[in-house]
Amino acid sequence: MKKGPTRREFGSGLALAGAMGLGFRPALAQTKEVRVAMIAPLSGPWARQGQLMRMGADMAIEEINQKGGVRALGGAKMVLVVADAGDSTEKAKNAAQRLLAQDPDLVGGTGAWLSSFTLAVTEVTERAQLPMLTLSYSDLITGRGFKYVFQTSPTAGHQAAETLPTALKLAESATGKRPKTVGILMDNTASPTSFAKPLREGGLEKLGLKLVVDQVFTPPLSDATPLIEKVRTARPDFLLLLLSAMPDNKLVLEKLDEFKLSKGRLPLVGNGSPLGTPELKDTIGADLLEGLLFSVADWPFKGDEEIVERFKKRTGEPWMTQDGITAYGDMWILKEAAERAGAADRAKVTEALRALDLTSGPVALSFPGPVRFDENGRRVDVPMIFAQWQNGVPVTVFPPELALARPYWIKEA
Amino acid sequence: MRASVETKRQVWAILAVALVVLGVSLGMQSAYYQLVLTQVLLWAVLSLAWNILSGYSGYFSFGHAVFWGLGAYTVALGVIYLDLPPWLGIPLGGVIGGIAGAVIGYPTFRLRGHYFALAMLAYPLATLYVFQWLGYQEISLPMKRQAPVLYMQFADPRAYVVLALGLLVIALAISLRVENSRFGMALLAIKQNEPAAEAAGIDTWRWKMRAIMLSGALAGMAGGLYAVVLLVVTPESVFGMLVSAQPLILALFGGVGSLWGPVIGAAVLVPLAEGLNGELGDVLPGIQGVVYGVAIIAIILCAPEGVYWRLRDRFTKPRPAGIASAEPAPSMPLSATAPAARLEESGELLVLRDIRISFGGLRALDGIDLIVREGSLHGIIGPNGAGKTTLFNVVNGFLTPDKGRISFGGASLAGLRPNQVCRRGIGRTFQVVRAFPRMSVLENVIVGAFVGARDHVTAERMARTALDRVGLADRAAAIAGGLTTRELRLMELARALAPLPRLLLLDETLAGLGHEDLAGILGVIRQVREEGVTVLIIEHTMQAMVQLVGEFSVLDHGRLIAGGRPEDVVRDRRVIEAYLGRRWMDRVAETAA
Amino acid sequence: MELPPFLAEFLQALAAGVTVGGAYALMCIGLGIIFGSMRVINFAQGDFLMLGMYVAFYLTTGYGILSFLGPYGGPIVAAFLAGPVVFAAGWLVHRFIVSRVTGAGVAASEGAGAYGQIIVTLGLSLILQNGGLILFGSTPTAIRTPLSRSSWEIGPILLNQARVVSFLVAVALVVAVYLFLARTRAGKSLRAAADNSTAAIYMGIDVDRAHRIAWSLGVGITAVAGGLLAGSQSFQPYVGFDFVIVMYAGVVLGGLGSILGAFWGGLLIGVVQQMSTLVLPYQLQNTAIFVVFLLIIFLRPQGLFGQITERT
Repeated sequence: MKKGPTRREFGSGLALAGAMGLGFRPALAQTKEVRVAMIAPLSGPWARQGQLMRMGADMAIEEINQKGGVRALGGAKMVLVVADAGDSTEKAKNAAQRLLAQDPDLVGGTGAWLSSFTLAVTEVTERAQLPMLTLSYSDLITGRGFKYVFQTSPTAGHQAAETLPTALKLAESATGKRPKTVGILMDNTASPTSFAKPLREGGLEKLGLKLVVDQVFTPPLSDATPLIEKVRTARPDFLLLLLSAMPDNKLVLEKLDEFKLSKGRLPLVGNGSPLGTPELKDTIGADLLEGLLFSVADWPFKGDEEIVERFKKRTGEPWMTQDGITAYGDMWILKEAAERAGAADRAKVTEALRALDLTSGPVALSFPGPVRFDENGRRVDVPMIFAQWQNGVPVTVFPPELALARPYWIKEA
Repeated sequence: MRASVETKRQVWAILAVALVVLGVSLGMQSAYYQLVLTQVLLWAVLSLAWNILSGYSGYFSFGHAVFWGLGAYTVALGVIYLDLPPWLGIPLGGVIGGIAGAVIGYPTFRLRGHYFALAMLAYPLATLYVFQWLGYQEISLPMKRQAPVLYMQFADPRAYVVLALGLLVIALAISLRVENSRFGMALLAIKQNEPAAEAAGIDTWRWKMRAIMLSGALAGMAGGLYAVVLLVVTPESVFGMLVSAQPLILALFGGVGSLWGPVIGAAVLVPLAEGLNGELGDVLPGIQGVVYGVAIIAIILCAPEGVYWRLRDRFTKPRPAGIASAEPAPSMPLSATAPAARLEESGELLVLRDIRISFGGLRALDGIDLIVREGSLHGIIGPNGAGKTTLFNVVNGFLTPDKGRISFGGASLAGLRPNQVCRRGIGRTFQVVRAFPRMSVLENVIVGAFVGARDHVTAERMARTALDRVGLADRAAAIAGGLTTRELRLMELARALAPLPRLLLLDETLAGLGHEDLAGILGVIRQVREEGVTVLIIEHTMQAMVQLVGEFSVLDHGRLIAGGRPEDVVRDRRVIEAYLGRRWMDRVAETAA
Repeated sequence: MELPPFLAEFLQALAAGVTVGGAYALMCIGLGIIFGSMRVINFAQGDFLMLGMYVAFYLTTGYGILSFLGPYGGPIVAAFLAGPVVFAAGWLVHRFIVSRVTGAGVAASEGAGAYGQIIVTLGLSLILQNGGLILFGSTPTAIRTPLSRSSWEIGPILLNQARVVSFLVAVALVVAVYLFLARTRAGKSLRAAADNSTAAIYMGIDVDRAHRIAWSLGVGITAVAGGLLAGSQSFQPYVGFDFVIVMYAGVVLGGLGSILGAFWGGLLIGVVQQMSTLVLPYQLQNTAIFVVFLLIIFLRPQGLFGQITERT
């Protein structure tokens, strides 16, 4: 058997074979549709995140089509095809493969929220040369040398490098003292692990911070007591919370309250969007969350008010979180790429994505900083967004040009 | 071993299936269908691997994910850290799976039934957390653009189908070989009645260990190939409970303990689940799980043992499970096989000295001294709870005495397992007949004969001889589950006799028999003894015993309170007080007078 | 009172283990009743736990039916009420599905029942989880009660109130179940059926009905445990999985067929889980459970209170 066709040949050959094999209509010169995919968990333990993504994407698609679709393609409508990544990497991979086989006209996609699902899905899309956007934080996703993956979130490593200096500055300006000791409380999933790794390997030292308590647990947490007991004993100047699931957040935050470490006695700095979900407020109450500061890849910021209002009205959600706004933004990115590509063609769309440099329009409103990808698919020059719970709503407080409110370093009352 | 006709048919079937799969794969254009087909094949292999241990032996494993996961991580870590091509990594995964099987089997086989299953449940879950802790929560096989074939990164998804198919053929071939050999028979015997198998000379420990190692190795290889196909390995995806449940569901659905059951299960259920995911997944998330759950419940209610057995029962004449040849082999002439008949009572064959054993505070045997002479017919009698069966269990090796010595033919039996005791030449029947109910009478007896025979043909001949000896030759093909009490007793006797033991331990063989049946069995026992086999028999009923035995021992509360010839024993004051009662004494006096 | 840090941590972990163990103990009792009476490995037990959580949730925070009882009393009563609701559900499930693959009639045929049970309970688990997703949605929820973040203090040791309540309820229910099994007619027939179903039939005991009671009682009690947990932690329809292994470890640890054993087993699992963090990395918490589980199975397979029943 010869060495095998190049990926390009394979991709287009497969698409053609698939199309013919399944009796699909061949691509017309003048396309009526621009088809994009979303592969996200819609059932299983992460169903909520997938549903939020879907809501954001649906809203974007509707807006795009209302405003005339993809003009460069004669007003072609954007169509979103959704597949359920389920509860396992196998299901996620199958979903991706199924979409690609049954829908050869796809020109781009987004997915799959959980970094292990994203890894599995992109293995498929890479070989099919379908450009994929993802909000997953894990460094590995764009560390594989793939050409068709575009990570809209800064990598966890980058986030770590940005989060701490900002937090320290905030603390210093609020209390007059720069914190000297820190504690880390995290689960052992990919994002927190990537976040904490550079910190432990010298990052903290560089900032003059001593790590006095460092606890990693396997989610789901059964009980936070021994964890918080250790924190109480170590009494760091502030605590870094790297938790990726809401149930763990509830246990930790409530336990901190129980141990009288809440409400400013132990400042908290978190990372990740699960810290800003409405369900967190529903389960533990706004008073415990007041002042909780967390860095996150994306959060509605200044200029997004209208988008957020529309989202709230449409879905009944009390506010928009990272999942909603990035999915919304992904659709606009794909639309822009299709416009610049001038054709509903995967390769051209990929090129267009790589050449993107958007600083205005709905895309720029959905993501902090310019939307620009390097050759690995990573975004460059992304400012780290900080959100803070204020009066029961997590609002963007940093960087100042994107902030909707002013941040404060929570102090003991 | 098995009738070559049957084996050949299965081999052709395997080849046919392989060709069909290849054909389907070549015909399909969609990479998606190829992927699903690959998964069908891989899960079928895991299910077959599971079947080798659990389907055949009855030792249900709820933890096969541990082997699968170890195989997957071996391959993945091998590629990432050692640049090890999966062509080597997958067999290595198999080796590691086999070793894991041994490591896990060694302690866990001490358990039975539910305990075994639950213990197995723990292994993959414990390992899951360890891998997460080690930092391998998400690893992905790097794309090797320079040498894709070396790293099994094929552009054509059919290549994976071919690889998985190869593994399936290997798994089927191994399963077929197991089924048709002593291995399979031993596992089947273990499944149906482990103590009986042990007492009949099957080294249950060794066979179980072999089964789990083989099972683990196959599962490890399948897991390794899975890692290559999926390219992303997480602890949850390879060690999780769903992975352990999958081979179970597939095998139970398709037909547990059969060659084709796991394949049927995989061929039906994997595409069904995937199809449901695809069609319904985005319509009403969760509905696919509900439909799948309903489907498997509905089908298992209709066919509790699995589709394969249901179909087989429906379409073929009922055949006994197990192994039997098509033509009966002739039984061996008696003179050629019976040990030199020694009718005169000669040397000491079985000697027990000061045997003591206690259970908690209860002294079951309290210093037993017993000598059984070669060629004798020796009875042990005593009230319920006297310790008679315990005594047998001690001789047999099921129990270890706290104190005392046992020797047989001059050699000590201390520390021997029941199957080893059997090999020394001691056969045994049980108080509650321990038949292998789904096997035929002949097959039941062949299990016993295997101890003395090197191959199936010899074993069968010995079995037929034994059946002749007890007069059950005409029932050789009948299924044991349907026999009468008398026939069951005779069958057990034949099984114990098949390996030509020197000593036969009969545990209440006469109990519950009517007058006619009793006479028949007594005749057989006498005949057997005349052919030179020493018999030690436990009984309840005095009448039967006095007619039968030449020598008596009376057991009461763990002690031998009398011994000797029947006439003397029944007159012994202690025996009368403890056991017989005044009225007996009067009756004896009457008959004597 | 100032305690040296290690001692404070030790006592705190112990307190956490015991109070967490209370809820575990209750779940284990539920499973223990089923396993002990019917010898069925119920893979869906965790999902009945989840049902209990949702029932309790809807009775309080969800639909506010019990809100007149306030945020302290409401959740506790709701947890109790989850019991009968899930008992009824379990009754139906057993009557129409489970009894077809379990019980005396089935035990007679070789193996058939055992296979059927596994698939049926696995299928049930799938239906409950995914049906739950459809009915309840995917958003994690919890009962809002100040109990989950308040504690009683004994020196520097904090005893979480919600957990302590679960513990007390567990103890109360253990006593109740024990009395039920020992004193009532239904309870005794349960024990007889568990011991020897064939003999029980001959004695005129309706084994099928006894099993139905055992099953429904088992899932009902586990549901109460779920209701109690619903006040401490958040949950979603797939939460059952997390508890299945804890339950089995506890039941086997305590000894099959022993209610008291299930109680102590669950408690011990809680203690092991929380106290293992003193010597092991937190990530290996559950591995510690498995190690203990395996040790018990090997060294003393009958568990703390069970009996060995196999005879040659």
